[in-house]
Amino acid sequence: MNRRVLWIVCAGVAVALLLAWLLFFRSGRMTPVEEDLPATIAPTPTPAPKQQVVLLFPGRDGLLHPELRQVSLPKESDTRIQVLVEELLAGPTSGLAPVIPYSAELRAVFVGQNNQAYIDLTGPPEPLDGSMTELMLTYGLVNTILLNTEVTAVQLLFDGSQRPTLTGHLDLSRPLVLNKRFISGP
Amino acid sequence: MRRTVVFILVFAVASVVVCVAQGLPPTLEFRHQGLRIEADTLRDRVEMAPIMSLLGGEMTFSASAGVWALSLGENLIQIAPDRRLILVNGELVEAQDPPMTSPTGVAVTLAFLDRHILATFGFHLETFTGGYSIVPGVRFGDTVSIRPITADFGATTTLVLALSRAVSVSVEEIPEGGLAILFENASPQIDAPTPLRSRRVRSLTAGSGRLDVDLAIDVGLLSWNILTNPDRIVLEFGRVPPTPTPAPVRVVEYSGPAPIVIDPGHGGDDTGAIGAPGQMEKDLTLTIARRLTQALRARGYTVRLTRNSDIERALTDRTALANRLEARLFISLHANSSTISSVRGAETYYMSLDDRASDAAAQSTADLENRASGGSSATGSPLDLILWDMAQSEVLNESSRLALAVQGRLNALLNLRDRGVKQAPFVVLTGATMPAVLVEVGFLSNKAERDRLLSPDHQQRLADAIALGIGDFLGGS
Ligand SMILES: [Zn+2]
Repeated sequence: MNRRVLWIVCAGVAVALLLAWLLFFRSGRMTPVEEDLPATIAPTPTPAPKQQVVLLFPGRDGLLHPELRQVSLPKESDTRIQVLVEELLAGPTSGLAPVIPYSAELRAVFVGQNNQAYIDLTGPPEPLDGSMTELMLTYGLVNTILLNTEVTAVQLLFDGSQRPTLTGHLDLSRPLVLNKRFISGP
Repeated sequence: MRRTVVFILVFAVASVVVCVAQGLPPTLEFRHQGLRIEADTLRDRVEMAPIMSLLGGEMTFSASAGVWALSLGENLIQIAPDRRLILVNGELVEAQDPPMTSPTGVAVTLAFLDRHILATFGFHLETFTGGYSIVPGVRFGDTVSIRPITADFGATTTLVLALSRAVSVSVEEIPEGGLAILFENASPQIDAPTPLRSRRVRSLTAGSGRLDVDLAIDVGLLSWNILTNPDRIVLEFGRVPPTPTPAPVRVVEYSGPAPIVIDPGHGGDDTGAIGAPGQMEKDLTLTIARRLTQALRARGYTVRLTRNSDIERALTDRTALANRLEARLFISLHANSSTISSVRGAETYYMSLDDRASDAAAQSTADLENRASGGSSATGSPLDLILWDMAQSEVLNESSRLALAVQGRLNALLNLRDRGVKQAPFVVLTGATMPAVLVEVGFLSNKAERDRLLSPDHQQRLADAIALGIGDFLGGS
């Protein structure tokens, strides 16, 4: 009797978790679930116009170098950031280095009322090291987002939580603003 | 309110402490320009009518307004019994002790008489046995409250006196040492939220119309300025007269008890960068830190380490230690790592304040200091911020000079690839109250550089180069 109740509870929890996972965490990358909407109010999907964006990637001089790319940019800040981060994660096309030195995935993007963005990435599989790695990852992401959106500050999250620091040099527990010191001059 | 209270205190000490404490005798004698009158008193107040006639002024009552008008020459003061607000030449002033209705009209305290009436007419009270003389000249100008802040640098100290309003002052050096700041028509009051902590400025004493600055031995005034927005006096102190002796001899003399704090990066579970199995940044930084300590001690400096074993230490604790020791310098040692294996070379960082988060840091620092001293965070916060900024930008200037000196020696002695001096908001550099730098001695991710970094010879040369850079900075400053 007890065992049966336990089974039912476990199954219920499993289904709930699966649903939550499908709805909240995978929605960014999955084809949206088709809803049964009356044909008259179904939105006609107008593709966002292509725009030139500036993506920043690290060079061997310890500075971030711009790479220009034409991408379809949505209007809303959160989806716009999503596009930008996916472009960064796809990596540089020139001889520059990747911003994130492991194969990261974007878990979520939130934009708060004060125009502060929170971007949640999967954490590194093993600890990263070096202040340069930390500077390039942090300001590659933060500066790219701030240069191409209306957002005023970016807080980085890893695996859904704040990290005081990534390699032991920078304070990542707070939102960061544009830092042009690490962008290579013209 | 507070100003008035302070004023009353000063006044009482200066002249009428006995009268205020015990009430006045039934009559008081007042003298003015060879004339004398007896004025009746009413507890701690004195009749105004006889004093006005002694001065040759007029005193009239407006029944409709219930207000007494006291006039002398161009000056007009309007007062009403039991009301704190008075009108002085058309301007509202709040008095601490309101006038009282009396048999001949209105009576006021001696403090009120001196502060509001005689000062407006251009006189002040002086005591003689049994009475008071009303003599020309305003003794008590308005009080000006002064908030002092000091910042000690390598060879100089900046003292900022934030003023509650604009004043004219002159500065006089006292032959026995120290100096006096003389205020024209103003009584300085020190409003110090935190105790003064400086190697060169020992204490400040506010007196009537002057502020005395006590200085350490051999320290003198280098320059002073009155600045506005906000109103402040900025004084710079240093060794006077400057000794023209070359640096190497002086270095030992200069090294007081204040230590140089060396911070070996990482430690414990935080290994820092890993070059190859067993080659960890935390070990390399500790080895170089110990060698640097020896090199600096050999030059006569006092040195403290933030860790001297393989232990974990919070980043903020490292800076806090340097601040607590009132260190002369803070040097954090690190070795770098990059995903680009060809990247190599040394670089020296100092703090950058140019991201907006630093304002928040300043704000919270100012708030914390305010709360620690029992003050409210609402008062003077913008001023605190400006002063904090000023002190910080001075420290930044010094830090950039230190970074250049250290990086210069690293480049020259080691023939490293010059990666230059940079600024970054690193945690260990945040909030340091002394010149502070973070030195990245090289890249463990570069094969050739890793091999060099692990050789004791190279470690010693790195330590010597950094010690020379520190010597350049301290000797040349
Ligand atoms: Zn490090």
